[in-house]
Amino acid sequence: MKKRVKALNSIVIMIITAVIVALTAVLVVYFISYSRRFGSSEDSEPCGHYYAMITDNDSSFWQSVYDAAQTAAAEHGDYVEMISRNLSRDYTKYELMEIAIASGVDGIIVSADESTEMTELINEATDRGIGVVTLYSDNTSSERLSFVGVSNNDLGKLYGELILRLASEREYTGGRIEAVVLVDANSMNTGQNVILSAIQETIDEEDGELKMLHPQIVLSTYSVDSTNEYSAEESIKGLLLRERSTLPEIVVCLGELNTVAVYQMVVDYNEVGLVDILGYYDSEVILNGIDRGVIYATISADTSQMGTSSIDALTEYFDYGYTNQYSTAGISIISKDSKDGLSEGGAP
Amino acid sequence: MITRFRNLSLQIKMTAISLIANLFVFVINIVLLAGINIMSGRIDTVYQENMRLNELSVSLNRVQDSMTEYLNAKTSDSLEEYYRSAQIYSDQAEALSGEITGSLPDRMEYAIRNMSAEYLSEVSETIEAKRGRNVEKYRSHYDEATKLYGYINTYIYSLNNEQFKENSENYREMISAFKVFETSGNLILIAVIIVNALLIIRLTANLIRPLKLLAGRADEVGKGNFDVAPLTVESEDEVGVVTRAFNQMVVSIQNYIRQVRENAETERLLKEKELLMEAHLKDAQLKYLQSQINPHFLFNTLNAGAQLAMLEGADRTSEYVRVMAEFFRYNVKKGFQTVTVGEELELVDNYIYILNVRFSGDIHFEKEVDSSLLNVKMPSMILQPLVENCVNHGIRDMLGEGRIKLSVYPMDDLACIRIEDNGIGMSADTIEKLMNGQQPDPEKKESNGIGMDNVIARLKLFSESDDVFDISSEGEGKGTKFTIYLKRGGDT
Repeated sequence: MKKRVKALNSIVIMIITAVIVALTAVLVVYFISYSRRFGSSEDSEPCGHYYAMITDNDSSFWQSVYDAAQTAAAEHGDYVEMISRNLSRDYTKYELMEIAIASGVDGIIVSADESTEMTELINEATDRGIGVVTLYSDNTSSERLSFVGVSNNDLGKLYGELILRLASEREYTGGRIEAVVLVDANSMNTGQNVILSAIQETIDEEDGELKMLHPQIVLSTYSVDSTNEYSAEESIKGLLLRERSTLPEIVVCLGELNTVAVYQMVVDYNEVGLVDILGYYDSEVILNGIDRGVIYATISADTSQMGTSSIDALTEYFDYGYTNQYSTAGISIISKDSKDGLSEGGAP
Repeated sequence: MITRFRNLSLQIKMTAISLIANLFVFVINIVLLAGINIMSGRIDTVYQENMRLNELSVSLNRVQDSMTEYLNAKTSDSLEEYYRSAQIYSDQAEALSGEITGSLPDRMEYAIRNMSAEYLSEVSETIEAKRGRNVEKYRSHYDEATKLYGYINTYIYSLNNEQFKENSENYREMISAFKVFETSGNLILIAVIIVNALLIIRLTANLIRPLKLLAGRADEVGKGNFDVAPLTVESEDEVGVVTRAFNQMVVSIQNYIRQVRENAETERLLKEKELLMEAHLKDAQLKYLQSQINPHFLFNTLNAGAQLAMLEGADRTSEYVRVMAEFFRYNVKKGFQTVTVGEELELVDNYIYILNVRFSGDIHFEKEVDSSLLNVKMPSMILQPLVENCVNHGIRDMLGEGRIKLSVYPMDDLACIRIEDNGIGMSADTIEKLMNGQQPDPEKKESNGIGMDNVIARLKLFSESDDVFDISSEGEGKGTKFTIYLKRGGDT
């Protein structure tokens, strides 16, 4: 009996020893494999084509476009890079174009303008076999493959309609209604002009009877300097810090950042109710502004369609050697009444 | 194998146990250390990428500097420096990732690599144009190169930042993993130490157990209990040797004690015998002396009577008186000393002579003596009482001619003295009583008072044996035979 207990003891000690040794081995193996995980990236699968996306800024509008583009690219096994985001310095679109060309990308999606510098860069890229798609704002004189954007004419019409709606809704007491369109001072963007004329056209084409019900609508532009981060805000300040009596009744913003800046300032300067804002894009902040009644309405472009279309254009080009010259994305009005996703009028 | 281990010496066993325990700790330690080593190696590699990028940046600066210097001074040194640094930079840039992957650093490296190729070609064209003194061309190439230089620097810087950020995160995670590992390692070590202690306690307990048993037994023996069971020897080590020696010692002590006891017993028996002998002698002496009234006076008187008889010419009377005096003197002189068979025979002769004078030759006495046995030693006053017994009980009251025959003859290494008569014999009952040392008939006392019991007792004491005397009789009227067996050594 005693002998059996002794043997049992020995076996127990042996088992404990074995367990400890096994535990140690498991621990070491686990931690080594754990540490091996570092240093090797999780998604190092090689991609097919490598595209660069160059935009005016890093606003959520562009972010949304980029996300859609990246999703579409990933479906083809390609990759889109918003190169400005990865760099510690801020570069102009032109510099970013140069970087993209020198980096040896396969395609560039650029929010272009009509400057000759841009035209040259696009042409140089095209010479090197890099496909260039202009996004949102075009460079018509270049050899770009395709333009993906919204129809500026439609955009202008929508803004015009919104201005008219405001004119009929609000009880304006002054002799005239001043609607100021914020335009980019530096931009060679012809799109702005198209928008402006479309707005003007829409206002002018208003039914004569209706026209009599509200004061005259005067459309003007206000240049916003967007060369650096703070210049836009400074410019807008100039507009909104006027005498109360000379404040514009309606401010039309054609870009997301301007919309947010104006919204912020109207709140800060206690001008809610004095100035109606017509914005662009449906970011969180802007929708919030609509909820609070500061922003009357905003026009949202289908960013995901823009992103997808630009990638489709590049993919088509690389697959078949040609692609559509134009591709437009839908736009829609978002106001307090329609915020539940109801689209009001709009473009194709 | 276990038995082989059991038979090793205690020192080797202890050494083996401590070696096994230490080895266990050592192995676990080595494994843990190896884990720590590998992990810290990984931590090192985390920052290797940053170092590589820094080197790349340094090389890039060198290329740009050497180019600028060459453009400014156009020295062959700067040109050489340019070639060298451009080669180095080219090699380093080539080593960058050439693949587009989902990982940002890979893509940035890809961009750096392509831009570097472009940059190097611009630099080389700048240098060529400068050598060809084409000012216009070298300026534009220089501007182009410098722009690219700026881009690449930004890229390297950004990538460096990016990786540093990522690495720092990894590093932090790794360090915390490392801590967990360290803690678990320590816990394991503690467990190992505990198990080790258990192991050592177990193994040493096995070693010590026989020693403890031995100590317990030794204590028992020390307290005087020698009646302990021998211990089993379990191993052939020092403890085994000591155990065996202890067992042997206990057995030896037991034997020794037994021997001492036996010796004491023998001594006691000897002393008893001596005392008994003395008692018998005293008894015999007393009885003898009681029967004598101043024997010296009697001898002298008898001698005077013998001389007187001789003077008167009565030779037979003189002879008779002399023999009688001799007979009594023997009794007085020899007392109860050891005497020879010859001396005893002489006494018997004198006694028979006296009797024959008394009873006018009625007793026929025959002697058959091997003269070589005359010097055999025996106690005194043995044969005469026996002959007297034959005369008094054997033949006195019988009808017819009484005969007594005495023979001394050798038998093996014994000297035998046989006295036989043809008298009335003895009953078996009487013989048995006599042989057991009892007086069959206490009423019948002899003249000189020495009974058969005394004779037999003294013979037994003398020879230290019971087989020294024998009585046989073939029945009533068929005579009696006494036989004495003496050792022939004769020196006693």
